[in-house]
Amino acid sequence: MRTVLTLAVLSLCGALGDLYLAKGMQQVGALPTLRLRALLVFGRTMARTGAVRLGVLCLIVNFVTLVVALSWAEVSFLVPATALHFVLATLGAKWLLHEHISGVRWCGTLLVGLGVALLTLP
Amino acid sequence: MKTVVVLLLALLAQAGGNVCLSTGMRVLGVASPLDGSALGALLLQGLATPTLWLGIGLLGVFFALYAVALSWTELSVVLPATAVGYILNVACGAYILHEAVPPARWAGAGLIGLGLCCVAWSVRRPARPGRTRGDTCGPC
Repeated sequence: MRTVLTLAVLSLCGALGDLYLAKGMQQVGALPTLRLRALLVFGRTMARTGAVRLGVLCLIVNFVTLVVALSWAEVSFLVPATALHFVLATLGAKWLLHEHISGVRWCGTLLVGLGVALLTLP
Repeated sequence: MKTVVVLLLALLAQAGGNVCLSTGMRVLGVASPLDGSALGALLLQGLATPTLWLGIGLLGVFFALYAVALSWTELSVVLPATAVGYILNVACGAYILHEAVPPARWAGAGLIGLGLCCVAWSVRRPARPGRTRGDTCGPC
């Protein structure tokens, strides 16, 4: 029960975090240079972007859950198991956003699901 | 080239951060996600644990480098790198934290990596006419 709940929270927050962060960073644009002043401006722009904020919020929940779970779960199990969020994200894209999912992507998603299933074997 | 270096540093920071967090949390003891008061007390106790701060710092570095990489290139380029990260984390668990990693877990991590490469490849493929949305927007 504890493992299932933890994986559910990690997967949901991971999927939403990735989606919002990717969308937000596309809005922010490319980092022009690695100079300090440009980095500060870039960070300020990121902080003002709603999608980045939402993505960061999801990733914070994801992170706290991960830290707590690491008190009883092994890194070699828990971190790969978080890949389950790719399966959830693909299913959400298909059934909620009505996106076309190519055959290759379904294969990839199936492999990720099989991989997570293998991780849960004793 | 700079994207490869940034992604490599990001993966090392992520694996190092997870190792530090695991080490720190094991010192603190087992936390139940369903027991709010015990969880709060444990997290407060964690604030005084240097290993946890080091782990948080390294994952912060990972997050910053990951965001920079996403700003430079497409998610389809970043995803295969994160696939390597899963295998790296299993290796760190096995060889640094001395966790017992059964062959099924190695195989699972390998399958996850392979699956993510397929997802990334599907994103990079040119979209067919009338079928553009799902093939151009990352894992979601």
